[in-house]
Amino acid sequence: MNQDKFLVEMVRSELAEIVGQDYVSVEESDKLVYSTDWAWMPQMWLDRGQPLHPPDFIVHPGSAEDISEIMDIANKYRLPVVPWGGGSGSQGGALPVFGGILLDMKRMNKIIAIDEKSLTVTAQAGIIISQLEWAVNEVGLTFPHYAASSNCATLGGALAPRGTGTVSTKYGKAEDMVLSMQVVLPTGEIIRTPLVPQHAAGPDWFRLFLGAEGTLGVITEATMRLDYIPEHRSLRALLFDDLSKALEAGRLMMTRRLEPFVIRLYDPASTASRVKSILGYEFQGAYMVVGFDGDPDLASLQENKALEICTRLGAQDLGREPGEKWWAHRYDFYYPPQNLKLPWMYGTTETITTYDKIENLYWQEKKAVEEGFADLDIKFIGHFSHWFHWGVMLYSRFIIEQPPEDAQEALRLHNRIWNAAMQAVIANGGMINEHHGVGLKLSRYMRKQYGQAWPMMLKLKKAIDPNGIMNPGKTGFGF
Amino acid sequence: MLIENVIDTIDNCRYCLMCRHIASVEYVTHKETLSPHGWALVIASVQRGLLEWNQETVDVIYSAPDHGNSRAHCVTDQPLPEAIAAVRAEIVSQQLAPPIVYQIDERLREYGTPFANRKPGVVSGEKEIALFVGDEAQYLWPKTLPAVIDLLHAQGIDPVMIGVGRNSGYLASSLGLLETAKGLAEENLAELEASRAEYLLVLSPGDFFTFNQLYNERLGIEFPAGVELLELTTLLAGRLEGGKLKLKRSTDEEPYAYVDPTHAVRVPNRHDIPRKLLAAIMPGESRELFWRRERAHPVGCTALQFTKPDIAEKLTMSRLEDARESEATTLISEDPGTLKKLDESAAGHGLRVKGLYELLAEHLIHDEHGAAALD
Repeated sequence: MNQDKFLVEMVRSELAEIVGQDYVSVEESDKLVYSTDWAWMPQMWLDRGQPLHPPDFIVHPGSAEDISEIMDIANKYRLPVVPWGGGSGSQGGALPVFGGILLDMKRMNKIIAIDEKSLTVTAQAGIIISQLEWAVNEVGLTFPHYAASSNCATLGGALAPRGTGTVSTKYGKAEDMVLSMQVVLPTGEIIRTPLVPQHAAGPDWFRLFLGAEGTLGVITEATMRLDYIPEHRSLRALLFDDLSKALEAGRLMMTRRLEPFVIRLYDPASTASRVKSILGYEFQGAYMVVGFDGDPDLASLQENKALEICTRLGAQDLGREPGEKWWAHRYDFYYPPQNLKLPWMYGTTETITTYDKIENLYWQEKKAVEEGFADLDIKFIGHFSHWFHWGVMLYSRFIIEQPPEDAQEALRLHNRIWNAAMQAVIANGGMINEHHGVGLKLSRYMRKQYGQAWPMMLKLKKAIDPNGIMNPGKTGFGF
Repeated sequence: MLIENVIDTIDNCRYCLMCRHIASVEYVTHKETLSPHGWALVIASVQRGLLEWNQETVDVIYSAPDHGNSRAHCVTDQPLPEAIAAVRAEIVSQQLAPPIVYQIDERLREYGTPFANRKPGVVSGEKEIALFVGDEAQYLWPKTLPAVIDLLHAQGIDPVMIGVGRNSGYLASSLGLLETAKGLAEENLAELEASRAEYLLVLSPGDFFTFNQLYNERLGIEFPAGVELLELTTLLAGRLEGGKLKLKRSTDEEPYAYVDPTHAVRVPNRHDIPRKLLAAIMPGESRELFWRRERAHPVGCTALQFTKPDIAEKLTMSRLEDARESEATTLISEDPGTLKKLDESAAGHGLRVKGLYELLAEHLIHDEHGAAALD
């Protein structure tokens, strides 16, 4: 938005009339804080003393009706609207790169209902996931989306990029747990998706909003599936000296319908670095944690079957203690100073594909990154964390400990590395992302990812958001 | 706190969001800037020339509650409250702090408290046990002290009372008034030394934190070796368990809730103790607030009550709403500052507020001569 103070005040006044004076800000400190999310790119930019493009207005809506009225203003003045949950996305999906109205959803944080018979919870999209979990724990239930970002991400933020949590292997991704949603469309309509996700009453349009990352509307409320808190949970760790066999062990566990709640397989590089630094274990090889929960007898039986599979493929059983320790400290990786942080350059070039392709994809991506940037002492580490009946996700990362000091140079290098990684991923049958989303960072790969289907997606976007106000620049969509 | 540690902590916290789930001010204001990472990012941005200290940014920094949740929940124990206090000290020294900060400084230097126009009481006597009274017990919830004296006398304990009407130093430290905080700390510790006590009893987790940790970390003052610091609730719970504290049941059968006081999260392993004391006297059903124990949110009785009374009010209202939803009708706590703030608005939420110490004292079992039964 142009810096005409007169027009800024006119719009601010209109927004304040909707949400209240206390819930609209144009303060410089707010604009700076909301100009970055959890992506490396903007964090590095600010760290180097470079300003980012801020939002023009930070607005805290209290209801879907508020948002509907805000859409009216945004369309009238052609202002971008950027939904903001926890600001914990790593892809730049919430960056207000074109200014406009940033909608911080956290004022909409109420739990509307817990249905102890159907095992569902209906909550507003701005609730922090950990707080939602505490609330359902009070009645013996759990919301089994245990993401590393649960302490900071919102329910809407879990759904918008199609997030995945630690126990997704058994309980599913966030998108698998949603029954229905309330969404405010860019044109202001407040719609409800069907009551249940599985039915035969027409096309599955409700899933359009999952993965749209705020480009097709604002998720304001969701009804999510819950589970009983498992009465039993046990983990153990194994060590493979052959990553290929470890991958096969995971595949067999999944395709034989054992139900681990987690399989976490670290490649040798991750085992030697991250497992060592966080958990203190010095192993050589591919370290795997497997966990089973629920009925103790069933869990024990499944665990024994899993152990048979693994040992038949050459695994060394490390016992329970390393597995339990991993579970207790699984989020320690994200606390400073042991997390990946500036001044390092790093990125999570994660991907997903089917079992027949995953091993080759891993090696090709590793090669593209390590060989392409060998002169920079780049490190490539990976683990396989979210397993499905048909394939597995590779959580690959690159790290450069001494990146260029100049911000532009650093960003250029960062983008070149991402390009190399994503080209390798697409060329070898992978998706450009499994659960962090597309955001700004991967926007440029969407056309290539979707090929002939991309024009259809552009038409959908145009139909739903005729003025292109919703989160422009993200998930491949412009204005 | 050394400046290098401040920079490290600020840089660590500016982009970390892992304590947001228990952040109280963000919860009640919904504002990203008023969160642990928001405060750190604002400070880091001033350091990098992206922002400057002005009324707006200083107002943001003085919106941090300094109640310890962020640090208590940090796996790597980042001392963000300490770093913010150190930054506030810089702001104070540049004469950029809100005017109320300097006004409080004057009052603390003259009276040792912002709550009264009276200097602290004179201490005399040497005893094995000293009791730090402080200013909140003296002025904000004066029912505390007579009840505490009754409880201690019933245990055969006649302590020297120190710091009567004097702030512990927490408030000054929190506001960035380092020299004033040091002065108060030194006066309190001088009285402790003069008492020759081997035990120092404190009435709240906030005071425990101040003597046990704040004096050293923020002011560079060591708590005297050879003196054991103890919360009064811990002493009483031990006596109850040992059969040396005898209590009778209350006739009030209404559901009640214990409110973990502000700063409770700073003292590990103390959450069960007051609950056990209450369970010994209260026949009614005990309820729990949502924001309880390790995740207890503060009431608005930190320095926010002076620098950001609107946020302090929101914190208090949020606790009262939390309490109302628990369906308790009586709220009980031991911290005088917490009690005062809750009591101011409790009636409007259909709630009553009672002090833990008064309740215990009211239900002491005395022997036939009027003294409490002692084994």
